[in-house]
Amino acid sequence: MEQKRELPKFAVLQLSGCSGCEVSLLNSEEWIENFDLVYMPLVVTSNKIPDDVEILLVSGGVRTDEDIHNLVKGASRSKKVIAVGTCALSGGVAQIRESHPARDTYMLSSHRLRLPDMLPRAYPIDRFVNVDIYLPGCPPTPELFMTALTNAENAKIAPIVCQECGRQKLQDMRPTSITGMRSGVTLPDICLINQGFVCVGTSTRGGCGALCTRPGHACVGCRGPANPYLNKEPKFVLDNLRRVFTRMTDIPEEEVNAVLDSPWLSLFLDQFTDYTQDDSLPIRTKEKMI
Amino acid sequence: MTTITYPLSRIEGHARVVIDIHDDEVFRADFQAMEMRGFSYYVQGVPAEQITVIVPRICGVCSTAHQVASVKALEDVFGVTPPPLAEDVREVLLLGQLIQNQATSLFIFTMPDRINADSIFEVAEAKKEKERQFSIAQNALRIRKIGTDLISLAGGQFIHPIKTTIGGVTSGIPRQKADEMIKTIDTLLPVAEELVDIYWEMSMEMGDRIGSWGDDEPTYYLASTEADNFRLNSNRLRLMCPEGKECQNFSPHEFESYLQLEDSDYSYAGISSFQGEIMRANSLAGINLANSMGTPKADAFLKRFVQTFGRPAHAIMFFDLCRGIELVYALEKSRQMLECDLEHGETEVGYTPRDGVGYGLVEAPRGPLIHHYEVEKGLIKNANFIIPTVHNMLAIRRALMVAAKRYVSADGISSELGRAVGRVVRAFDPCIACATK
Ligand code: SF4
Ligand code: SF4
Repeated sequence: MEQKRELPKFAVLQLSGCSGCEVSLLNSEEWIENFDLVYMPLVVTSNKIPDDVEILLVSGGVRTDEDIHNLVKGASRSKKVIAVGTCALSGGVAQIRESHPARDTYMLSSHRLRLPDMLPRAYPIDRFVNVDIYLPGCPPTPELFMTALTNAENAKIAPIVCQECGRQKLQDMRPTSITGMRSGVTLPDICLINQGFVCVGTSTRGGCGALCTRPGHACVGCRGPANPYLNKEPKFVLDNLRRVFTRMTDIPEEEVNAVLDSPWLSLFLDQFTDYTQDDSLPIRTKEKMI
Repeated sequence: MTTITYPLSRIEGHARVVIDIHDDEVFRADFQAMEMRGFSYYVQGVPAEQITVIVPRICGVCSTAHQVASVKALEDVFGVTPPPLAEDVREVLLLGQLIQNQATSLFIFTMPDRINADSIFEVAEAKKEKERQFSIAQNALRIRKIGTDLISLAGGQFIHPIKTTIGGVTSGIPRQKADEMIKTIDTLLPVAEELVDIYWEMSMEMGDRIGSWGDDEPTYYLASTEADNFRLNSNRLRLMCPEGKECQNFSPHEFESYLQLEDSDYSYAGISSFQGEIMRANSLAGINLANSMGTPKADAFLKRFVQTFGRPAHAIMFFDLCRGIELVYALEKSRQMLECDLEHGETEVGYTPRDGVGYGLVEAPRGPLIHHYEVEKGLIKNANFIIPTVHNMLAIRRALMVAAKRYVSADGISSELGRAVGRVVRAFDPCIACATK
């Protein structure tokens, strides 16, 4: 235990998110041996990020003025910043945009109670600070956390979820409508698209181990766009998905489109790609993505 | 007037305690949620069947409870009954979450208060207890991991699980995996019992040192577990009156006639009450309302608890001890359930969506959680999340007042106050992300 003080300092800053990222990190216990955890309010009594932090993990989106303050300060005291989770990369699954009625409710009390002010929208963290590594996922698995912490440079990540899924795409099983959800049974080993689900594993970055599709739940795209779609408009991802459905199914186009436009996909895919609308964001290169 | 603000760590989410002192007297003590998540707004207009993927994101600590409650609410709307096998897999899922949550709350959030440390990962330098403390931390994480492994097994992944779907579950639990899990539980159950014992001792010492177990005024208690069946995949809520009798028993459909929910003017979290009276949910409520846990080791702890502190017990530090009883129970019970065949048989039934109103109840680690949806033209028209932490908001406030009065006097404000407010809030294990849904 004596050498513990010489281990690299490691801090976890939680902005506006659900704590899921932190809970996942807690399961990749190996960091306990390899790092000195100096800041993580969820598990340590700590009021501020100390100087000389080796690695700062940031989860959650930038949603309030206090988030900006903490983020900029924390990053200035750290050598390396890793953005973890969909929220930090995209602003967050809990978006309250300018026009949203919920904003008024929030703003009504924030000043009177001296609580943080809400920004016009929730931003990804690289709008405010330089990010060295991006770790998407909602949340990223403990294994991915360890990769990001110890081996980011040499990480080998499956290009798309299908590669880790193990389900087979069949030529002769062409659903004519989106029925998957309601069929009552999921056939093992066969691609969920063949079974009438809208699975977006074909465009989504792998590395998660296909945790959802293996037990029979369609991929919703929580790890965001695969490398070819990084920094591209949402249309590119959606067009690719449309092509997949034309190739593999006889589902009418309108039906596919309705699902592709629907909230559970926008929860992830839209939000990731939404940053292409904002010029102030840096280009994310595939070398920085885990 | 002096106002003191205490930021809080070792709880879920962003919150603080604000205490106003007037003329050496405590005037107000508020527990403030500092963020607003706003999920009840985003889900308006969402296709109903998609909401089960969205709402777990309310909270990464109790995503499992939200997912199951959400599915149950839609099953209620669509009039579909999942097969018994699916109900059992869901129970294992919820037991896994109870283990994960109670282990986190006990050992990661509140144990540091008992040893005056900043975290369990901090190893006391000078103390001869160093070794012991280190092994406590390691064992605590091992126990916690049983919980997350169980959630992965029954839910697909341990945060934002996906296997529970409308009409059932996507798949059961393979025999081989169940057997591996049983082995792990057999090895670690004695470790968990020992940890709970250690925690119990530490709590007694802390009680002696401080001279108080906190706010102990008799109160109403709310839980959805049964007196002799601690099933978490629950169907009815029960309310215990301050003197200890069960005085109300109602279905989630009727919650509005029993529970009053309102916004608060000092926090982004709402508050709830029973006809204006302070209630408490979470571990102490479930234990006060239980005759037996139905598993031998947990029953032994329950007996010890009742013999030592009586029934109902009221001091807030008992919440922590009751989490220990629940932890042991959940380990024993999941082991029992894994012995059964959870692999073969009908896992899900088909359904036809329709419009209507539905309610989904589960006993989450912090108490009864209800999702209440109104579906119109296939879309969510209204979604109301009745959150366990919200049932405790008035109780937290009262307990903070009791603590603050203890440490503020004409001689000044005791430096112990900061630690005391932390202990009070953590006893309730509030979840801020959920409370500001
Ligand atoms: S990325 Fe997902 S798990 Fe992480 S904070 Fe956001 S909602 Fe929670
Ligand atoms: S589309 Fe989905 S189910 Fe099919 S192989 Fe890819 S990830 Fe698996």
